[in-house]
Amino acid sequence: MRYMVPFMLLIAACQSPEKGPETRYAPREVNVYSHRHYDVDKQLFALFTERTGIVVNVVQAGDDELLARLEAEGAKSPCDVMITADAGRLGLARSRGLLQATQSNVLAAAIPAHLRDPEGYWFGLTMRARVVAYDKTKVKPEEIADYADLTKPRFKGKVLVRSAENVYNQSLLAAMIAHEGADAATAWAKGIVTNMARDPQGGDTDQLLAVAEGLGEVAIANSYYVGKLMASTEPEKQKARERLGVLFPVMSTHGTHVNVSGGGVARYAPHPAEAMALLEFLAGEEAQRLFSEGNKEYPVRPGVPVASELQAFGPFTADTLNLEALARLNAEAVKVFDAAGWR
Amino acid sequence: MTGSVRTWWHRNSALWPVALLALLFALPLAVVLTAPLHTPSTQWDHIAQVFLPGHLASTLALLAAVLLPALVLAVPSAWLIARFDFPLRGFLRWALVLPLALPTYISAYTYAGLLGPTGSISVWLATHWNIRPDIMHLPGLGWVLAFVLFPYVYLPTRVAFATGMSHVLDAARTLGASPVRRFMRIALPLARPAIVGGAVLVAMETLNDYGAVKYFGVRTLTTAIFRSWGGLYDPGGALRLSLVIIGLVALLLYMERRSRRGLTTTAQVRGSRERLRGGRAWMATGWCLLVFMLGVALPLGKILGDAWTTLPEADHTRLWAAARNTLLLAVLSASVVLLVALGFVFRQRVTRRTGALVRAAALGYAMPGAVIAIGVMALAAALDNWSGARFSLIGGIWLMVYALAVRFLSVGWRPLQAGIRQQSASLDEAARMLGASPWRTFTRVNLPLLRPTLLAAATLVAIDVVKELPLTLILRPFRLETLGTLTYELAGIEQLREAALPAALIVLCGLLPVLLLEWLGERHG
Repeated sequence: MRYMVPFMLLIAACQSPEKGPETRYAPREVNVYSHRHYDVDKQLFALFTERTGIVVNVVQAGDDELLARLEAEGAKSPCDVMITADAGRLGLARSRGLLQATQSNVLAAAIPAHLRDPEGYWFGLTMRARVVAYDKTKVKPEEIADYADLTKPRFKGKVLVRSAENVYNQSLLAAMIAHEGADAATAWAKGIVTNMARDPQGGDTDQLLAVAEGLGEVAIANSYYVGKLMASTEPEKQKARERLGVLFPVMSTHGTHVNVSGGGVARYAPHPAEAMALLEFLAGEEAQRLFSEGNKEYPVRPGVPVASELQAFGPFTADTLNLEALARLNAEAVKVFDAAGWR
Repeated sequence: MTGSVRTWWHRNSALWPVALLALLFALPLAVVLTAPLHTPSTQWDHIAQVFLPGHLASTLALLAAVLLPALVLAVPSAWLIARFDFPLRGFLRWALVLPLALPTYISAYTYAGLLGPTGSISVWLATHWNIRPDIMHLPGLGWVLAFVLFPYVYLPTRVAFATGMSHVLDAARTLGASPVRRFMRIALPLARPAIVGGAVLVAMETLNDYGAVKYFGVRTLTTAIFRSWGGLYDPGGALRLSLVIIGLVALLLYMERRSRRGLTTTAQVRGSRERLRGGRAWMATGWCLLVFMLGVALPLGKILGDAWTTLPEADHTRLWAAARNTLLLAVLSASVVLLVALGFVFRQRVTRRTGALVRAAALGYAMPGAVIAIGVMALAAALDNWSGARFSLIGGIWLMVYALAVRFLSVGWRPLQAGIRQQSASLDEAARMLGASPWRTFTRVNLPLLRPTLLAAATLVAIDVVKELPLTLILRPFRLETLGTLTYELAGIEQLREAALPAALIVLCGLLPVLLLEWLGERHG
């Protein structure tokens, strides 16, 4: 069976690569499942290892895939820390019994109460606001104070926004349902659909570029995509930023909708102490500053300087709705989008 | 009497391992098929009433929007290349296969970056000519996917035109039938199985795509799966929707089998090509060149251009490690697929039929990668718990290879099946009459004849593994990065220019086997 020879060789060759988390000498380590895929996270993990000697192993994939993996692995899961880019998924992880309650005075002091789980199941680490970017040549910032202003006849055919599949659209609507009820949220979503400049397509950056190209006048987008656009060195994006202004709409008497990227300790974490150390490190002043500078996100920790691109947008008042509501109302938000015909 | 029992045993003792293998590969499918029994759906009413009709309708519309242009691109090109000589033919012959190396999601980002509403070509046209093309809608996506997927039709159809029917076509030509008449009356009907087989692959790839449809804002059954899973928090609903996709694919496969009925390819004679001259020659070159420019040169130029500009800032060690991992995974998965597929083909050859289990095992291609990954993970977890093993299967490279093999089994199995069908049964009969066992007949007669097909099948699987994304994302072990996951990381945060470099490497990794495949094809006819 000479056909088998190359195959056998391959099997032999395959034994050598990475052995996975278990190694013989077992240095202290922490296993992270993360939906975040940013360079700044890698820098922070490296810094954490440098400071503590704890090695960070990461698997990156989508939120839902990681949750499914955690669930399938059950009690044998190697995961210590689950990090997502959406509070809704953290709440879902909690309700599925995938996280454990933790006690940390450090985290309680560093993170405002509405940005973490009341019982310590998960903690927000960075904050993103759902903002409106507008064409400075056509729109006066006074015209939009509330998300509801986008549904006025003035903006018919002028609103750019991505598809309802996007989790930040879902969390915006979930927050609206929490504050104003499903009927008001449905009316708002219908109003936006009426005012859309085109059927939803592309990502947040595409909406911003479209405003700059005059294909609409206002775009609903995530603050950190706007920040990244402002920091970009690509010529088209530099051209776009001359024309774009940013404002923070509020939700009637509440502030601007924010969502967090955050983490929690897995229920069956083999290294819970290391997991807490990592979370506390990420909520520390230094990490918070790097998150903001490197990835144009708002720090959750008060008093930490914000990246200059974000400072240029001006200050804003964030909604203080406890983000636990986002998980509870996400499915309802999806249904409201369907009812409104928002693709 | 004892003789026939012994024959039966002799036949079937070798077949049990194959059946077990088929069972192993059908298991993830079983997880999905039995979903209604083990995973309740909390939002099924909403999914069935609101999601399903709209998503199903636009899935069917997208299938039509992809298949029609794919056939328009593939069949005439295949006909021209197979039967005629014209300037640049030698180059175009293999160049038209190159889109196979482009993953659909990368090609979607690339075309949108050129011809979307804010794409560079669109913006240029808008400033200079005041027209603004926009391809970001369902028909536009149809063309984009058709340009990447048409080689699935082009390749088998070209082979069919070039070899399977030469004697008939040559006869018609001697009798004075015009090229058009030869094409319409002889070539097309005879190449139908090849065309339909390729079209089924195109349809399956379309059903499986997630990145491109999501970016273009087109709703399909696959986006419905992710929507009910991630948006409605209802994995049970997602599994039931996978069931709908599998049903659709089963229907496609059934249609493909029916279209093959009553047709057998016979002679493997390479026909002579007719030399085109003058205007007709240039028209042939022009058509194929147009397909090449739009389908290969344009997207590849953009990707390579972006990759070049980001090259100085890139992390080269990371890139090379990812490239190495990608190739390793591709080779391993292709080897596993080939071994299993050979077992299936052997069983088929001996029993003269395709078992239901084998057919079920090959349905993995119909399932979205993410669903297979979840199915495989559930199996591994169950096995872990049942065996009480201290080590977890999950997170190992072999589990990932298994899942990839499940996913791409039919990509490797189909060409082998087609290849062995072309071997006359009298070959086997002669060997058996001379006293060779079925196994010996298979390894000494069938297998050597199958060698070129074997390499082609391995290549197709390897390309698919290099391009695969969702399954790899979910199942990869700690610290294992592939080019696909690297591209996804960057594209996921809308850093499309930076994503071009790993994307370019994916394309290059894909190009190597594609070129190898073409070179082999040239050598073996």
